Amino acid sequence: MRGLLRSEWTKLWSVRFGAWCTAVYVLVVAALGWLAAAGTQTSPEPDLAVETALTGFGFGQLVLVVLGVLAITSEFGTRNALVTFTAVPRRTRLLVAKTAVVAAWVALLSAVLAVLCAVAAARLTAVPGGVSLGDPAVLRVLGLQVGAAILITVLAVAVGTVVRSSAGAVGLGTALVFFAPLLVALAPDWAARSAKAMPALRVGRDTFLAESTSWQVGTAVTAAWAVGLWLLGVALLERRDI
Amino acid sequence: MIELVGLTKAYRARVAVDDLTVTIEPGRVTGFLGPNGSGKTTTLRCVLGLTRPTSGTATVLGRPYRSLRHPMRRVGALIDPAARHPARTAHAHLRALAQTNGLPVDRVDEMIDLVGLESVAHERVGSFSLGMGQRLGIAAALLGDPDVLLLDEPVNGLDPEGIRWVRELLRDLADEGRTVLVSSHLMSEMEDTADHLVVLGRGRLLADMPMADLLDQHAAVRVRSPQGPLLAAALRRLGAVVELELDGALRVEGLGLDQVGDVAFAAGVRLHELTRITESLEAAYLELTGDAVEYRASGL
Repeated sequence: MRGLLRSEWTKLWSVRFGAWCTAVYVLVVAALGWLAAAGTQTSPEPDLAVETALTGFGFGQLVLVVLGVLAITSEFGTRNALVTFTAVPRRTRLLVAKTAVVAAWVALLSAVLAVLCAVAAARLTAVPGGVSLGDPAVLRVLGLQVGAAILITVLAVAVGTVVRSSAGAVGLGTALVFFAPLLVALAPDWAARSAKAMPALRVGRDTFLAESTSWQVGTAVTAAWAVGLWLLGVALLERRDI
Repeated sequence: MIELVGLTKAYRARVAVDDLTVTIEPGRVTGFLGPNGSGKTTTLRCVLGLTRPTSGTATVLGRPYRSLRHPMRRVGALIDPAARHPARTAHAHLRALAQTNGLPVDRVDEMIDLVGLESVAHERVGSFSLGMGQRLGIAAALLGDPDVLLLDEPVNGLDPEGIRWVRELLRDLADEGRTVLVSSHLMSEMEDTADHLVVLGRGRLLADMPMADLLDQHAAVRVRSPQGPLLAAALRRLGAVVELELDGALRVEGLGLDQVGDVAFAAGVRLHELTRITESLEAAYLELTGDAVEYRASGL
């Protein structure tokens, strides 16, 4: 497995999209976070101030959808999959390694970005008693944000594995996490309730431009989608011809 | 060694490989021939576990390919020279492959030198020509120093120097006792390279025999005599097919060189020439696969 992880790491950094998606993600999250923190003069609670500074993650996660999808569709779209699965005929192991490498990279990036956003909130937003990074409420918000980013990435890898085409998978992935929850939230009551079952993007404890759910319910729903689709991806990958 | 037993792959509209049973032995170069669409590539994909057979089995070194833990150390394959991410450099492409099978990265540089891609090792492979892609594919196949090699059209797009290099490489690998299965449409090339032939037509096995036997089956004898008609009659009595050539010589099929000489002696016929004509592999192949060609150009 160590060799496989190394190989996937090599692959991620030897194509253009790895660096591009990373750069755009950092730029979107950091810039929007700084703007949101700078535009918020006061906040009653430290965790609320930090949550505002995390706004950039809302749009940033759309970049993660692209990153996760391309990690796998770049194999199929270029027929590189023929070489990959000849070298690694145990297909599930390959998908585990690929998912782990992309998710680990996203986890690291997101953790650093989340801390930067919290620092921005501490410096730019006035909060009674100040914002401390060691505050359990703040840590929970940051942890939830990193968790949401990882789940969206795994979901995207899964969608890419099922759909195989880059354009199709990016379209379906963004529809699933962004447009569907957004549209359904604008619809009548019964549809809005069903929006709670969609894997919506999250900013801190709340949903991003979608029907509001508690963080427990929202995280569980997204996790269920990510794991469910990933398992479907594994089943199809093992069954289908390359 | 590669063993196929009753291998069948049916797609919705057609049967690509039909009940194919054949064993590819080590220590020789086996040529894998057949018209377009005869099922060669599908067979190779089944061997490599990329395509799931409808029925039957394919094993390499006694095991199904998909159960191999580090397959590149046992089996090297080239099935599509275009199977590469265009943005990746040749070195990164091979490095990622080496890492999957726990192969040392030094091997990558060695193979790049071997196939002659040193000068473009750090260029993106998207700009590679077909021939350079073939060299990259061959490098990938040889990375793990495998016992079994499967190469689908490896000389397609190579320059004459490259074709000759591949021929000598395959010869050497087979002489070291490895199993080498190579498909090609270049018959003259195959004739110089392969020891043994497996021929497919419409997914079925048409021939599995030593190259020499196939050529012998399609050999003829050219005989010139001042008493041509007498000799022709004597030969026909023994069941030979005799044709008159433009220069008055006879072309005899169905009898060997020695037999024709004996017949002439027995008939008291003087001979001025007695030659064995071997047909090219191309002619023998076209005769063998004539009925099994699926895609044929129509005349203008």
